[in-house]
Amino acid sequence: LCRCRCRCRALLSRPPGAPRALRGFAAGPEMHFGFQTVTEAERREKIYQVFENVAKKYDVMNDSMTLGVHRLWKDILVHKMNPTPGTLLLDVAGGTGDIAFRFINYVRAAREQQLQRKLKHHQDLSWQEIFDSYQEDKFHSLGDSQAVVCDINREMLKVGKQKAQHLGYSEGLSWVLGNAEELPFDDDKFDVYTIAFGIRNVTRIDLALQEAYRVLKPGGRFLCLEFSHVTNPLVSRLYDLYSFQVIPVLGEVIAGDWNSYQYLVESIRRFPPQEELKEMIEDAGFFKVDYENLNFGIVAIHSGFKL
Amino acid sequence: RCRHCPPLRALQASAVLRRVSDEHKKEPLTSSSQQQFDSHPAGHQPEQDPQGPRPSYTGQGGQESEDYESEEQLQHRILTAALEFVPEHGWTAEAIAEGAKTLGLSVAAAGMFHSDGSELVLHFVSECNTKLSELLKQEQKLVQLGKAEKKPTDEFLRDAVEARLRMLIPYIEKWPQALSVLLLPRNIPSSLSLLTSMIDDIWHYAGDQSTDFNWYTRRAVLTGIYNTTELVMLQDSSPDFEDTWRFLENRVADAMNMSNTASQVQSTGEAVVQGLMGAAVTVSNAETSRAVR
Repeated sequence: LCRCRCRCRALLSRPPGAPRALRGFAAGPEMHFGFQTVTEAERREKIYQVFENVAKKYDVMNDSMTLGVHRLWKDILVHKMNPTPGTLLLDVAGGTGDIAFRFINYVRAAREQQLQRKLKHHQDLSWQEIFDSYQEDKFHSLGDSQAVVCDINREMLKVGKQKAQHLGYSEGLSWVLGNAEELPFDDDKFDVYTIAFGIRNVTRIDLALQEAYRVLKPGGRFLCLEFSHVTNPLVSRLYDLYSFQVIPVLGEVIAGDWNSYQYLVESIRRFPPQEELKEMIEDAGFFKVDYENLNFGIVAIHSGFKL
Repeated sequence: RCRHCPPLRALQASAVLRRVSDEHKKEPLTSSSQQQFDSHPAGHQPEQDPQGPRPSYTGQGGQESEDYESEEQLQHRILTAALEFVPEHGWTAEAIAEGAKTLGLSVAAAGMFHSDGSELVLHFVSECNTKLSELLKQEQKLVQLGKAEKKPTDEFLRDAVEARLRMLIPYIEKWPQALSVLLLPRNIPSSLSLLTSMIDDIWHYAGDQSTDFNWYTRRAVLTGIYNTTELVMLQDSSPDFEDTWRFLENRVADAMNMSNTASQVQSTGEAVVQGLMGAAVTVSNAETSRAVR
């Protein structure tokens, strides 16, 4: 722990406008892991371990750290997505499945509305036609929508699958083990690509963005929900206080793991700010890139289209 | 917002944005919809010539704007394609999603627009206004060439409003929804400006040269006629909307009479006339100043 703190002071002396190369790209083998400096390989290993350790308590910790607000953030993300029935979603670093479950709920509700409207529209069908339409609609309660949850960490996927079973999500979900920098999917496959609180942990963000571009269909949408930078000075002070004093303590008390949550807080501070991430997304080839700050910039949703 | 890597962009062939030259071969008239919120579309819109590439709105990355269509142009294409699905889905994001599908795009492309369908309605209204301008311009050309008679004002106004309202017929079932969308506070500046520019257009082609109070009164009166006729049309179930056109005829006749009566009254009681004019000007001023804002 004190090793972190010493390095922290040294690294903070670096000017805040550090070139992007030091943050998202591997300038030589040196990378950041929180406030530490590690090699690329070490970083991947450490992050894998972090999530292996926290997997079982991941949801509980989310709730306690953010006082439940993370649920609202994820709701807002899916509302912004506004998926229509028939959408194919890829949720990367989706681990415990939060986004995928919300997506399925949303699409199910939208599908019901659609069916109701169809019924009202077709007032003059024969009995046979009505019977037929009921038959086919019964098996399409999701309207062909599908959510694929991809995560690099086996433990997180395991927890996610258990949660799905527990909550009763049976159809429209698949769980795939995969690396965001090298997705095991074909080109032009998905309508929407989301990555919620995951891109921070990706070692080569540019590769992940390029992969996102690759697997999306033309016209497809990239959505990224991530902790970002607070500009308001008062909120920033309170936020820093809370992050560095309260969260690691919670981590120790609830999950028995101070270091993982120290990493979490540090990685948030090292992540590129909103504008920089927007530029990185544009560099990957996305158009109409925009971001929306939630809670003064504590969290930001970036959106881009493959046009 | 500036794209600071034009070379990188040009190398990455855009997945969807077509080369402008291709688009030109197919649809030379689409760009007329670009000047959406221009207040004087009719007289100032140049005739489209299919040769050179059109300038795009986001003309900051030099290479891409010359060779590829801009995002705005793609959005126009999607909205035009979406109109086909309005009778079934209404003026919603779903219609836009279906439209995007027909262009070979993912349904997620509808995320580029508001989820309440505002852009779709505004796009449609602007397209109708452009079509009306074209129509009136053609008629004017015929009159100038001597191939047609110049219509008296009331007939001209009647025909112009009827032509414009007939464009709503394919979407008449969902038009109340469209009206409610146009009245959303966020959309009122745009919808009001579209309305006033259309009315302006009609009076311009009707030969209105007034530079006094009449300018305001005429536009206020015609706006009233148009709006009330539109509302009547929504509830009309007569064959080919006969009742609506008869209503329109009566309203236009009323307006003509009103102007005649006004000049008679002016010669009899000046104080009364001043009062009436003052009220009309106040009302139309309020309307125009809202539109200007």
